[in-house]
Amino acid sequence: MIGVLAACAAAVVLLPLSGVLAAAFGEGAARIPLSDVLRYAATTAILALGVGAFTAVAGAVAAWLVVMHRFPGRSVFSWALALPLAMPAFAVAYGYADLLDVAGPLRSAIRDLTGQDLPFEIRSPGGAVFVLSAAFYPYVFLAMRAAFLNLPGSALDAARMLGLGSAAAFFKVALPLTRPALGAGVALAVMETLADYGAVYFLSVQTLTTGVVRAWSVYGSTVSAARFALPLLAAAAVLLWIERAGRRGRIHETGKTRWRSPEPVPLDRGPGLAAAAFCLFLLCAGLLVPAGWLLAHLGAQSPDWSRLAIAARNSLGLAIAGALVTVGLATLLALGSERRPRLVRLASLGYATPGAVMAIGLLAPAGVIWSLFPGSGTALALVLLILAYAARLMASALEPIDAGLTRIRPSLPQAARTLGRSEVASALSIRLPLAGGSLLTAGLIVLVDILKELPATLILRPFNFDTLAVIANNYALDERLGQAGAPSLMILFLSLPAVIWLTGRIASAAPPAGRERLS
Amino acid sequence: MNPLLELLEVSRRFGSRTVVDAVSLELNPGRIACLLGPSGCGKSTLLRMIAGLDHPDEGEIRIGGQLVASAKGALPPEARGVGLVFQDNALFPHLNVEDNVGFGLTGLSRADRRRQVLSLLDQFHITQLASEWPHSLSGGEQQRVAIARALARAPSILLLDEPFSGLDGVLKETVRNALLEDLRRIGATVLVVTHDPEEAMAIADDLFLMSEGRILQTGGPEVLYRRPVSLVAARLLGEMVVIPGQAVAGHVRTAVGDLSAPGVSDGPVRVGIRPESLQPAAEGADVRVLATRFAGDGHRLILDLGGVEATVRWRAAPPAHGQTVTLKLDSASAVVFSDAGDTNLSERARAG
Repeated sequence: MIGVLAACAAAVVLLPLSGVLAAAFGEGAARIPLSDVLRYAATTAILALGVGAFTAVAGAVAAWLVVMHRFPGRSVFSWALALPLAMPAFAVAYGYADLLDVAGPLRSAIRDLTGQDLPFEIRSPGGAVFVLSAAFYPYVFLAMRAAFLNLPGSALDAARMLGLGSAAAFFKVALPLTRPALGAGVALAVMETLADYGAVYFLSVQTLTTGVVRAWSVYGSTVSAARFALPLLAAAAVLLWIERAGRRGRIHETGKTRWRSPEPVPLDRGPGLAAAAFCLFLLCAGLLVPAGWLLAHLGAQSPDWSRLAIAARNSLGLAIAGALVTVGLATLLALGSERRPRLVRLASLGYATPGAVMAIGLLAPAGVIWSLFPGSGTALALVLLILAYAARLMASALEPIDAGLTRIRPSLPQAARTLGRSEVASALSIRLPLAGGSLLTAGLIVLVDILKELPATLILRPFNFDTLAVIANNYALDERLGQAGAPSLMILFLSLPAVIWLTGRIASAAPPAGRERLS
Repeated sequence: MNPLLELLEVSRRFGSRTVVDAVSLELNPGRIACLLGPSGCGKSTLLRMIAGLDHPDEGEIRIGGQLVASAKGALPPEARGVGLVFQDNALFPHLNVEDNVGFGLTGLSRADRRRQVLSLLDQFHITQLASEWPHSLSGGEQQRVAIARALARAPSILLLDEPFSGLDGVLKETVRNALLEDLRRIGATVLVVTHDPEEAMAIADDLFLMSEGRILQTGGPEVLYRRPVSLVAARLLGEMVVIPGQAVAGHVRTAVGDLSAPGVSDGPVRVGIRPESLQPAAEGADVRVLATRFAGDGHRLILDLGGVEATVRWRAAPPAHGQTVTLKLDSASAVVFSDAGDTNLSERARAG
């Protein structure tokens, strides 16, 4: 029974993926030359490598500093460094594009002062690497913070007893032990880079994802869009494999030894201030500078509040509905994972797949339904959009739910069976209540991601149905950045409480503590 | 009397490994039986198959005469009417004691359910715990709750998986005795899995010795202790000193004296002696002391028994090492095994 339900949940992910494959090999004018696809792919690769490298260094170093050392502001940074997750990448791009614009105040001032222009152009692949790294380093930071907290304190004590300093302990002990987590965190950051549309498009950088959206919206060609999507799917599969390999390592790390988190070492004044400065720089780069800049320019033009209110309602409604559907499906998948582990692996492909690709994959089946029920326009479009969200975010919901379920001792549901409950009844009465916190975590992760989502929404939304992200994107493309700020900041403030709650949750998710709570 | 539980040639394989190998056993109503074996011998798998959490590849399991599992199919655990108490008790952490115990009591009015739960709690003297949460209970209390919960559905058999392994020392014995008393009073049919021989002998009416997936011997604890079928069976129930011997004309010669062994054919044999059967005596065999160790309740002497090192319990004043002591072998309690150790020759002689 549960196996069948899980298969249905997996189908939600597999349907659009097979839709993309079918479309790519289907008939239809591919009006875009191969050389363009290759150029877009090359730019995408540069972004992926650049963002991967920057987020790896920034995230790992920041996590190492806040977990292992005491320095001014550490207790704030240890959660605040994750806050940029609440900031959509396109909003970061808007902030920096305006701030660093050739005609912008900062560059003008520097030109007047030094007589020279900054040798840096924000609307370039390099600029995009900076913007996306600033937006996505928290993925690495959170993965590494959890990994360092879960390091056996004894290993680091031993390293210290053997005369290793902090840096040496990092490279010789901590990093080798947490390499799987680093791989997983970087894989997430790169997946988000591949999926990003709003930021790179605004910065005039042409990637495969912008190609997918443009091929569809400008040329109206699903086939061309699907062909742009194919290399993305391949890259997604590779990243997923890396991320999975990281998870296998994580299971290995948390052995049966008694767990004790490492004791932080106080830093001297100089190094302590340097550590604080580094963390502050990251927080400024990812959140404070772009959000501050947008906030400062809010007053320039009075926003269209009534339109924003409707968009906020649409965004929240979609996000909540999407979170409920996604968590529901992911829960079915997680419950069925014992029976059908391969299903879960396939469904995870969805997370690595950019939203634009998912949307394209849903267009073909949607076309069939549209022709069958011509009057179903808006409702069907919303259902498809929610399905696209669910397909894309299933895996990110699945992970905490699966972790929550595996933390439950197997004897508990078995005891329910021997006490007369069927498999489904024991899942409802024992496994779900015990995994309740994980379900909430999963729901909030999905909620935040949907609030920030742009490309799938652009492709699948019903006519005249705006979300905050869509409005921000429209204003920004009209170069009305002052007005793009308001919806961007509204997304930030809607997401912020969820992100703060999630950060605290991940910090306390040390494995043995979780287990003891349940016993 | 018809057996309540019957296993017929039950086998279970994981890959190429046969974990349970053609096990047959019977359990009569109202009996407390123990399945004793070292860890990894398949006893827990056997228990899980009886409960319905695992299924046999071959053989049949019957409960109350009804076929519940065979190679062709199996009743799910919820349809078997078997109670299982897990090794970790498996109390539901999100339910309090009352709701844990009442978990299996479905289809009753709230008042009836509560009445039944309270009467169960009363039987195990834990009424005062009704509104407590599992994490606030001691190990012994958790176990009583788990047992009360398993009994709530009036199962025909109660299965206990290593029930006392989580408790230590003195507490373990107190908890065990009290629990056994309660279970006997309500006339429950119980199958306990354990790896602890002392525990098994203390609680079992019937004992099943299990090793490497097979049942070696079945019977009352005392019979099994005194007349093990093989050396492996003997050692499952406690220490045994084994010395070489030579059977000649109905007698066995050993380094610690001769035994009468009627019917044992001539040739090399092995003689198994429980350590408590070698005691100092005025006359007997002289053996050399290799070492002595203090052990609280007396000493342990490591003796040279004709080239075999053996540890015996010694209550008298300890000799110095290098000295010789005089030992008398209690020939009634010694067991003559074949040279390979797989057959009890004195048993066969007696039976034949």
